Amino acid sequence: MGVIRHGEFVLRVDPVQCDGFGHCHELAPDLVDIDEWGYPIIRREPTPLADHQSLRSARYAVRGCPRQALHIERVEAPAVPPRRA
Amino acid sequence: MIALTTPYLWYTTRATGFVTLALFTVVVTLGTLVANRVGGTVVGRFELNELHRSVSMVAMAFLGLHVATTALDSFVPTGWLSVVVPGASHYRTLGVALGAVAIDLMIAVWVSSLLKQRVRPGSWRFIHWFSWAAYAAALVHAYATGTDARHGVGLYALGLAGVAVLAAAAWRALGRPARASGRTALSPLARAPRPLATVGSRPPKDPRARRLGERDAARPAGARPPEPTHPPTTPSRPPATHRPAARPEPGRPDAPSFPRAPRPGRRSR
Repeated sequence: MGVIRHGEFVLRVDPVQCDGFGHCHELAPDLVDIDEWGYPIIRREPTPLADHQSLRSARYAVRGCPRQALHIERVEAPAVPPRRA
Repeated sequence: MIALTTPYLWYTTRATGFVTLALFTVVVTLGTLVANRVGGTVVGRFELNELHRSVSMVAMAFLGLHVATTALDSFVPTGWLSVVVPGASHYRTLGVALGAVAIDLMIAVWVSSLLKQRVRPGSWRFIHWFSWAAYAAALVHAYATGTDARHGVGLYALGLAGVAVLAAAAWRALGRPARASGRTALSPLARAPRPLATVGSRPPKDPRARRLGERDAARPAGARPPEPTHPPTTPSRPPATHRPAARPEPGRPDAPSFPRAPRPGRRSR
């Protein structure tokens, strides 16, 4: 920590592995919302890697997933343009 | 040798055997709680998962102590080989063999969990089922080999542990939820305002309203009970006061929905 990283990340969920345990939402509520049935709704907007709090909670969520269905993916450019600019 | 002059290694063996069994009882029960999706209201689900992982580490440490003191001690003629090879012990061959079987299975479960990033999820799950067999072998090992397990407090402790894990196994087999089972996240973190919901687009979720008791309490007396729902797959919606808008809001055409079409560049396994 303390190192300023360039670039952004998004969380990716593997929908085949995911069983809707909901741990990711508990561990990273800023990045993962949850739907009616307990499955995750991943925030689409990339988060800067310099955001240590978000990155840490994302790592906790990846580590805490009981099905190993969550991954951190680094993106160079925003995959989806910001919804409300 | 220490053991020639003092009996403390042997006492440590006996004591750590009981502690290890108690810890593995807790580990198995916690694993059942995680698998059955307990938590989300008072205690977070992730907390139970973390507890399961942490206590299993402590249990493995005590198991190592139990094994090391047994093998170091010269009071009973076991040996280092009998730790992992069933039937290699001259002392209570069957009981120690069951302990070795339990250790082998536990090592398989432990290593596969440590290498969880590298093991295929299906294989990890398959290996994780071994823990039930490991626990059963350990319980019989405790009865067959244990000096203190045949009578008195030791026997009661063994019975209690066996009943606890048997109940957990029955619950796991019968009460297993189908895939996902409802919303979670009443952890303190989740009480913060949600960044995904903009003001007015979506009401803040109040999962307390999802509890069956409160829904029944909100129902006027004498009204017919609500039609039975299928709990695992179609959880009932909260009362309309908490959710005035229908789910696909017209103002948010790009509202995230799940499952979604796969994106290019998604990590493939």
